[in-house]
Amino acid sequence: MPDDVLAPSNAAGPVCGSAAPRALGEPLFVCRELSFSYLGRFPALEKVSLEVLLGERLALLGANGCGKSTLLKVLDGLLFPTSGTVDAFGSPLTEDNLEDEQYSRAFRSRVGFVFQNSDAQVFSSTVEEEVAFGCLQLGLGPAEAGDRVADVLGMLGITKLAGRSPFQLSGGEKKRVAIASVLVMNPEVLLFDEPTAGLDPRTQQWLAELLVELNRAGKTVVLATHDLDLVGDVARRCVVLGEDHGVVASGPPAGVLADRALMLGANLVR
Amino acid sequence: MLPCQRSGKRKKGSFVEKTLSGGADLLRQVVFSDEVAGRPGLLQRADPRAKLVGMLLLLVAASLAHNVGTLAAMYLGTLALAAACSVPVGFFVKRVWVFIPVFTLVIMVPATLSVVTPGHVVVVLWHSGPKPEGLSSQGLTSALLVTCRVAVSVSLVVLVTLTTPWARLLGALRAVGVPRMFVLVIGMAYRYVFLLASSVTEMYESRKARTLRPERHDRAARRFVSSTAGALFAKSAYLSEEVHQAMVSRGYRGDPKPLRAFHFTRGDLVFTASALALAAAGVGCDRLIGR
Repeated sequence: MPDDVLAPSNAAGPVCGSAAPRALGEPLFVCRELSFSYLGRFPALEKVSLEVLLGERLALLGANGCGKSTLLKVLDGLLFPTSGTVDAFGSPLTEDNLEDEQYSRAFRSRVGFVFQNSDAQVFSSTVEEEVAFGCLQLGLGPAEAGDRVADVLGMLGITKLAGRSPFQLSGGEKKRVAIASVLVMNPEVLLFDEPTAGLDPRTQQWLAELLVELNRAGKTVVLATHDLDLVGDVARRCVVLGEDHGVVASGPPAGVLADRALMLGANLVR
Repeated sequence: MLPCQRSGKRKKGSFVEKTLSGGADLLRQVVFSDEVAGRPGLLQRADPRAKLVGMLLLLVAASLAHNVGTLAAMYLGTLALAAACSVPVGFFVKRVWVFIPVFTLVIMVPATLSVVTPGHVVVVLWHSGPKPEGLSSQGLTSALLVTCRVAVSVSLVVLVTLTTPWARLLGALRAVGVPRMFVLVIGMAYRYVFLLASSVTEMYESRKARTLRPERHDRAARRFVSSTAGALFAKSAYLSEEVHQAMVSRGYRGDPKPLRAFHFTRGDLVFTASALALAAAGVGCDRLIGR
């Protein structure tokens, strides 16, 4: 990642992190008493406090409608809390800060979000253009973007899809393209919303292995899911969101998944 | 429970069913078009911008031609070009002539009548006092001229769209000065129209799967269309919000950037010059022959 992207635009302007290397386990995101409601009437998050640490594999567990996707969108600076605060890379993640071009570019290049609905994420006319979109938006030249696209397509085994239109792809292929479109930006943090939803078992297995591999390569991985098998395979820490939209538990997967009363209360088992 | 056997009563498909199956056909045709664009051929090799410019020049020539013979020659030229581009000629002709009645019928039928285009009446349809009225030779000639002109124009457009992948065509539009935002909107509309069409199909199929007894089709279909329209609107609004979030998440700030800049080669220059020469020759011959 180029240092000039991370340098502050001016002395008084917002700064997204620093160019200095951070230590493993250092908090990247800090949420304090975070609440969010849609249209001011439908609560999605209620006083959620949590930290996302550098290099961890964190699973946000919860039933449908408990606020997992909303929380991921808040962490990606797409939605902003109605109360409470979020700090990202040591500075407040606010709408005002994200309007600053340099802050926005630094933040967007550090955080990648894979949406649950691949159709929403794969919007360009061809796979190649789709995967290049993020790089080009963040200021890379077409030649460098083209090289990165070729590398990522090769890494995910979808080089042959480069010229295809998204409507010609299967669900699994679209998911791979969506992941490629984020990985190409080489972000530090990867947010996955229900990554295994609608995928066949082989693709689910491939995805679980990819998440672990990415984490081993130094990426911080946060996934929102109610797929308990995936949590067991991938996560090192779980945060359970209850149906009241608040955090009800946090800890290693073995302990959380073994707590039947907790899982029943969160509507994660029957 | 009813026995699972035939009763002999059948019902016809409603207009909704026919529309949806038409939509599925369109999708198949689009997929086929992409395959045609990838075949080796004369136009497939040309730069999309050169094709666009060439097409515009020939469209201007077709609109300036006033002789049916010139237009017929141009039309035969498009057929030869289709063959040179590995486009099945039968498919190409069908694709073109599907549009012609839509574009010409409404306008041209009144123009063939002697009350609209006065002249020598060749087919008498009624009498206005002692004067016979009906189809006039001048009216029929005008209708034939417009039909030929539309056939040539539609053939040129269909040829360019069939031999150019959609993404490259959009890129070419951007390169010839069409605003970037406009091109982005067209591209996304094209991308999502299939998704929304498949949503409609699924909604219709789920309703059909739960329909037990025959209904009065068209009334039921109209009810289905009105209720589906609302649901689909809400769906597309939600989808558009998610698409925008997906774009913002990857650094979009209102200015999409293209992956490839086009480079005009000597071959493209020759192609454009040839199109210009053909257009000029067409107009010149037309002037020489006269009306």
